[in-house]
Amino acid sequence: MRGIRLRRPRERAPAPLICRWDLDKTYLRSEFDSLRQLLRTAFERAEDKVDVPGVAELIKALRQASERLGRPVRTYFISASPPQIGSAIRAKLALDGVPYDGIVFKDQLRHIRRGQFRSLREHVGFKLAELLRGRLEAPPEARELLFGDDWESDPLIYSLYADAIGSRLETRRLASLLRRVGVDAELTDRVLGLAARAAGRDAVVRIFINLERRTPPSVFQLFGPRVVPTFNYFQTAAVLEALGLLAPADVVRVARALTEGASYTPRRLANSLDDLVRRGLVSPGATRTLVARLAAEGVLGPSVAGPRWRRALAALGRLPGRRRRGALAAPPPQRPAPLDYDAILDQLRPRVRGAALWEAP
Amino acid sequence: MPIIAVDAMGGDHAPQEIVKGVAQVSLTTDIECLMVGDERRIQEVLEGVSYNPEQIAILHCTGVIGMADEPREAVRTRRDASLVVAARAVAEGRADALVSAGNTGACVLASARFFRLVKGIRRAALASVYPRHTEYPGQDRLALLLDVGATVRCEAAELVQFALMGAAYARRVSKVGSPRVGLLNMGAEPIKGGETLAQAHGRLEALPTINFVGNVEGNDLVRGRADVIVCEGLLGNVALKLIEGISEVFYDLATLAAERRLAWRLGLRLLSQGLERLRELTDYTQYGGSPILGFEQLLIKCHGRSTAGAVANAVKVAAKAVRDRVPREIADAIAAVR
Repeated sequence: MRGIRLRRPRERAPAPLICRWDLDKTYLRSEFDSLRQLLRTAFERAEDKVDVPGVAELIKALRQASERLGRPVRTYFISASPPQIGSAIRAKLALDGVPYDGIVFKDQLRHIRRGQFRSLREHVGFKLAELLRGRLEAPPEARELLFGDDWESDPLIYSLYADAIGSRLETRRLASLLRRVGVDAELTDRVLGLAARAAGRDAVVRIFINLERRTPPSVFQLFGPRVVPTFNYFQTAAVLEALGLLAPADVVRVARALTEGASYTPRRLANSLDDLVRRGLVSPGATRTLVARLAAEGVLGPSVAGPRWRRALAALGRLPGRRRRGALAAPPPQRPAPLDYDAILDQLRPRVRGAALWEAP
Repeated sequence: MPIIAVDAMGGDHAPQEIVKGVAQVSLTTDIECLMVGDERRIQEVLEGVSYNPEQIAILHCTGVIGMADEPREAVRTRRDASLVVAARAVAEGRADALVSAGNTGACVLASARFFRLVKGIRRAALASVYPRHTEYPGQDRLALLLDVGATVRCEAAELVQFALMGAAYARRVSKVGSPRVGLLNMGAEPIKGGETLAQAHGRLEALPTINFVGNVEGNDLVRGRADVIVCEGLLGNVALKLIEGISEVFYDLATLAAERRLAWRLGLRLLSQGLERLRELTDYTQYGGSPILGFEQLLIKCHGRSTAGAVANAVKVAAKAVRDRVPREIADAIAAVR
């Protein structure tokens, strides 16, 4: 007689993690302040392209940390550069040993052929559409980390995307915001259609903004605690460690990339970590294990501001006054407060050549 | 890289302008700063400006020494005051030099309390750079006047040491190969000014390591006759304030004239380029503060009204003095004549 075969309940796999990266100024140190620099960037070979210190290690660390946890991870790049530079970019990513699952460029030639010259410089609609398209192809339960910079509109685009898929932006409201930003009607319709299909899940965990332009951090307060402005990828790694998405050993790896490849000193890393604590992006307690590991590995020097434990105690005493207290130390809010997009767009400066895009409140 | 401690709470516009100045330095140089003061207030200002956190550390303390406080009592009793904590940090080797726009007397006393005098030095001197007319092409447009208030009355030996310290500073920081040293007096003759000044004149003239040009009078202060001018603190302070006062009155009068008559306004407009150059020349914010010389550690004292630009320049001067090993140069100069 055959025995009854019992079906063992399947273990639930952790939700996949999707990392979406902007390319210029976030991954690459692209210089295109002048026409000459723009042309040079366009014709640059892969080996001449320079990546932002620590970014390649961070991408690899994120993938390996997820794989250790058995969590599927996917890495995508999205760029407003034309596809003609695609081969050099792909070669650069291969040189850096960065694994990725997809890369999207903006077809600028198509806009020129159609005479849509305004669309050449308008990236909000393009990026939003591509993000939403990517979301529709992703498993519904996937969580997302978004990485951008402070040069153009990444904080705005990513926030609109997060709110659109999180069902926090009504179609009419999104349409009016896109109109205000200058997205053309055809693209607006496409974005609205995609947003309607992609809405339903609060998937974006954090939006990291690389302060390549050294924009004052207070500028990003309007975007709420979901947007995390960081000055280097060591800071980004430390925040990801506090979120449980990286292990201390992964942060050590990013720190080493900075000390060995970009002449960072252990003291500068210590200052970077202190800055995160002061800005309330990580709590003094949350960094304890990380600091011990970094110090043991010799990548974190003693801070000139004195013993860390003493400063942590002092910081605890001052906690009631911290503006972003617990922003990351606590689990992310299930239902973040809605953003005031009108105030955000008021803050967005008109495009002035050479001027900072965002201005301090 | 040098680490410069900055008293974030000292000065008329602290902490805003001080923090902004440090933020500027962090973006444009490789200098690292240790800001000392109320961490929350410093951070509030910092987050509203562009800065590089990799080059900024904050040492928290809550106390402040105000501009009107009695310096001796304040330095003695307020152990948690930003200036005192910063001076202690420099003395402990956590920073290489100190910059403060706070109470001048307290700066001098904090230096005296926490820093060690260079071997052989009897008294420290507060030096001040100020603009002057140049006599030959390539001459530095700034001269150094010391002492301007640290030591009210001096003996001849102290004036000689001031000359050695000033010359060492000018050699290192202003890069003047053989700075011309003058003694501020009421006449050019060696016997003028009383016994102390006559003795000092004699000793300076006999020193082979000093390029002594003799006595200089008040009208020579703003000419290019000497690169380093030595005097006692009381006289130096009066002379310095006189130069600043004349510059301010000149601009007040020009503004008044411009308001009164259209013709004068037009005339001033025609002269605007020249006036702007004059303004740049007499603008204290460009000079980066006054060093207190004679200690093994350096303190650069900024003007109390310093804005961000002045603080940034003071931090750069402090870093330059550290890199150029000014205290070592002073020690060598003193040792050579002992």
